[in-house]
Amino acid sequence: IGFFEETTRATTSLKIEILEDGLVFLIHAVFWNQRRESKPDSTTTFFYNHFLNYSNHSSSKEKEKPTWKSKQFIVCHFSMTDPDAEVIALSPKTLMATNRFICEVCNKGFQREQNLQLHRRGHNLPWKLKQKTNKEPKRKVYLCPEPTCVHHDPSRALGDLTGIKKHYSRKHGEKKWKCEKCSKRYAVQSDWKAHSKTCGTREYRCDCGTLFSRRDSFITHRAFCDALAQESARHPTNLNTMGSHLFGGNNMSLGLSQLGSQIPPLQNQNPPSSNMLRLGSAGGAKFEHLISASNPSSFGQPPQSMHSSSLFIQDANQGFPNKPQLHGLMQLPDLQSNSNNSSPAASLFNLSFFPNNNSSPGGMSSGDNVNISSTNLSSSGLLMQDQLNNSNGGSQGTTLFSTNMGDHVGSGVSSLYSNSLPPENITSHMSATALLQKAAQMGSTTSSNNSSSMLRGLASSKSEKQNVLANFGISFGNDNGGESLRSHIESGNHLQGLMNSLANASSSMFGRGQDNNFGGFNGSGVTLDQHHSNTNFSTVDEAKLHQNLAVNFGGSDKLTLDFLGVGGMVRNMGGGYSQREQHAINMSSLEPELKTAQQASQAFGSTTMQ
Amino acid sequence: MARTKQEGRSSLTSSHESSPGLGSPYPWLRSPQSEEGGLQLIELLGECASHVTARCLHSVNTRLEHISYLASPKGTAIQRIASYFIEAFADRMLKGFTGLHKALNSTKISSVSEEILVQKLFYEHCPFLKFAYLITNQAIMEAMEGEKVVHIIDLYPVEPEQWIRLLQALSVRQEGAPHLKITGIHEQNEVLEKMDLQLKEEADRLSIPFQFNPIVSTIENLDIESLGIKTGEALAVISVLQLHSLLAVDEEVVRRNQQSLQQFLETDLNHLFIASASSSTTSELSLSASPKMESFLSSLRRFSPKLMVITEQEANHNGFTLIERVHNAMKFYAALFDCLDSTKSIAPIEQQKVEKMLFGEEIKNIVACDGAERKERHEKLEKWILWLELAGFSRVPFSYNGRVDASTMLQYYSDGYSFTEENGCLVIYWHEIPLFSVSAWSFR
Repeated sequence: IGFFEETTRATTSLKIEILEDGLVFLIHAVFWNQRRESKPDSTTTFFYNHFLNYSNHSSSKEKEKPTWKSKQFIVCHFSMTDPDAEVIALSPKTLMATNRFICEVCNKGFQREQNLQLHRRGHNLPWKLKQKTNKEPKRKVYLCPEPTCVHHDPSRALGDLTGIKKHYSRKHGEKKWKCEKCSKRYAVQSDWKAHSKTCGTREYRCDCGTLFSRRDSFITHRAFCDALAQESARHPTNLNTMGSHLFGGNNMSLGLSQLGSQIPPLQNQNPPSSNMLRLGSAGGAKFEHLISASNPSSFGQPPQSMHSSSLFIQDANQGFPNKPQLHGLMQLPDLQSNSNNSSPAASLFNLSFFPNNNSSPGGMSSGDNVNISSTNLSSSGLLMQDQLNNSNGGSQGTTLFSTNMGDHVGSGVSSLYSNSLPPENITSHMSATALLQKAAQMGSTTSSNNSSSMLRGLASSKSEKQNVLANFGISFGNDNGGESLRSHIESGNHLQGLMNSLANASSSMFGRGQDNNFGGFNGSGVTLDQHHSNTNFSTVDEAKLHQNLAVNFGGSDKLTLDFLGVGGMVRNMGGGYSQREQHAINMSSLEPELKTAQQASQAFGSTTMQ
Repeated sequence: MARTKQEGRSSLTSSHESSPGLGSPYPWLRSPQSEEGGLQLIELLGECASHVTARCLHSVNTRLEHISYLASPKGTAIQRIASYFIEAFADRMLKGFTGLHKALNSTKISSVSEEILVQKLFYEHCPFLKFAYLITNQAIMEAMEGEKVVHIIDLYPVEPEQWIRLLQALSVRQEGAPHLKITGIHEQNEVLEKMDLQLKEEADRLSIPFQFNPIVSTIENLDIESLGIKTGEALAVISVLQLHSLLAVDEEVVRRNQQSLQQFLETDLNHLFIASASSSTTSELSLSASPKMESFLSSLRRFSPKLMVITEQEANHNGFTLIERVHNAMKFYAALFDCLDSTKSIAPIEQQKVEKMLFGEEIKNIVACDGAERKERHEKLEKWILWLELAGFSRVPFSYNGRVDASTMLQYYSDGYSFTEENGCLVIYWHEIPLFSVSAWSFR
């Protein structure tokens, strides 16, 4: 009865198929060893019943080993592709055994039962040849014993024994046969023979004239062939030869770990690790890189279809002559790592605290605000309740400002923003991608309780300002609406007044008041300066914000936060800037590498108030 | 140019929307063009998604009201995305009221020519499909070297240009052009007829023996036997943004069956299976793709294709939860909308058409549909690799020729596009967002 273990294995994968197709399998299992031949038909018990009895059997009989035992296989009937087919699962040992029918007298092995029977006749042992029956023989299908294999699933069983044997050795077996010419290895001898016949008959010719008989040496050569490099330098549009030095080699970097980690956790239980490994190793197998005669397919990208081979030149003249060629190859920027950082799954919807607070209407008394912000700054771990977002009707009850701004700002930010976005992002106006990224970042920082960080700090600082501003009923977060700009200007005086009064009245909000130093930031050597860059957060567009943040937080331990920046900014605005680039004002005075060049200085030149 | 377009757009909308700060019914809503407004939109969409999940009609209604105040199909990218998402949300909610839903959609006209036009616009103004075609053709050329009879099965031919290019390339092949047979599968006969005509013309011009075999069908209903695959042909199967529709399964049926079997097993097995069964509920499903996909791949495999090139959206829009799908789809389509924004050549009205009829419909399908109806089950490359390898295919790396061509081509569109090689497959990016993957396979 030692086959139940196997039966169960087969069914783990069976199960799903059953479910998906809504079929009911009639499965019965038969134990078959070399001594006793039992016809599959003789046992018609349902699989179901076997399991019913399973516990009894296993307790009364021998202890199971969870491994395959040789000389046994399972037959089950199922009604999927062919209801009459028997599904046979052989153990690896049985499958690989060349002579699995062993004579008990002389230990001679036979591949077929019939042959053994004939042999037994010579020993004068009882023998029995299968008689031809009128009945059509039952079709048999065979399972691959490797649990991770698709053919382990009865619905994918293979139709003949030789097929499954070859499959098993090819896919899961040792590659014993090695081609002497090209060192390629094969698990099945016949494969190796077939390969040996053709190996070396193909020639690989490089454009430089060298001939290769082996593909891999050809590829290696192509990678470094000087002739090619020179050729491409002379004719940059000769796409066929261009850039060979970039991609010549086998660039298959198989990210095993990456793959593994990206597959959702759900799966981790089921595909055993061998599966992953297989994935990792399978890719590089075929590199069919032969000489291709022509440049088979170049698509002109502009709407009209180009027919000449001078396609790209033409394009360049037409539209965008400035674009550097071949740029993208090397481009693969740090961006990816950046995006990995910044877009954790499911973080998107965790940002409830931020806009809610921003959007709190002007119903709040200024006293409240000051109170909140001061505690927020001076103490750590304050929970800020949701008075602010009542008007939202939001179901999210509590809004968390759990960390004191000063605490984690430095570290959190540098990790988030150290990969600042590339310059081209800056020019894109309010790109949705950037917005989403920002949302995700904010979400991620809030959702993790302890990593905390600046965004929380940032958000709270921002919301303070917002709240303050909200008292004046001003929508502050606008960078291109003319109306709100006006309102900014109008409110300039108010704000300044407010800020002054706040600063004067109590050091609770700004620590040491007029000095612009925040008491709350003492911990990590925060210095405040006049740059007011923080105040820009609400007005700059996304990419710029990143840049700003990178400046302020990422680069150094120093924090350049300034809450009086609100005042400063409003003053700036009062000064009459109306350009979207306003944000750049402050940036330009920061660390040089973060200058956004012309834009910044341009805007800065006319409007700075420093 | 882009700048002027942008400003034109935002000024247009700002005059239309004015600033919601003052005098608006929702004073707390930010101006939608501002960054904060955008963030607020994203947040509201997220909230809305969770309310839709909870099927809380009242809350959804309130959110939709707020969002529709901020969103606009002509506004900034995020405003436009929001428009399509709320439409999808509403559609999903309405599906609960079958009568309403049916009545509202009872007079819907699907215009084939419009759909084709939109696809053409997308093809022309975004480099993605061209990238895929170019890489595909290169792979075909390489895989079919020396072959005398080449049969290409195109699971969704939209653009004849791809095959015209291939014909041209084949005609100058060193060993001479092969006999080329292209089987095109499309649900619209007129697309196939047009393609037939164009390709035959080109083949005649180049005097390549050519045969076009049109099959009017969807990929789901495709009868593999009807493909007319003959022994001796070198077979290439090309799928551009099609294969994912085979993942459509009626999850309800699966789940119900699973439960019944689980009970069936649990009672008998004394916990032997409980752990594995519960964990396998989802994982094995995804491990084994879908029955349709499996049977499709395995029946293809029987014909031992020499090459199979698969282009797919590089995103997971097949999550179990709506929230997950919404989240991923927002990220993905945000990038696509940004791509379109950066495209100089497309006219605003054309852009809106692409957004509404292509992206908007996809969003709607991802968000509003379930079960067999949900066809846009985009999955990431790692899944495809898993499934295809399980189905017995092995990856074919792309040659540098194709990649060089492709990267040059991308550069002409915008600096924002790039691609990487990941696990031997190519992934095309818009800035840092992966958007489409191209992978080549062969029968082991």
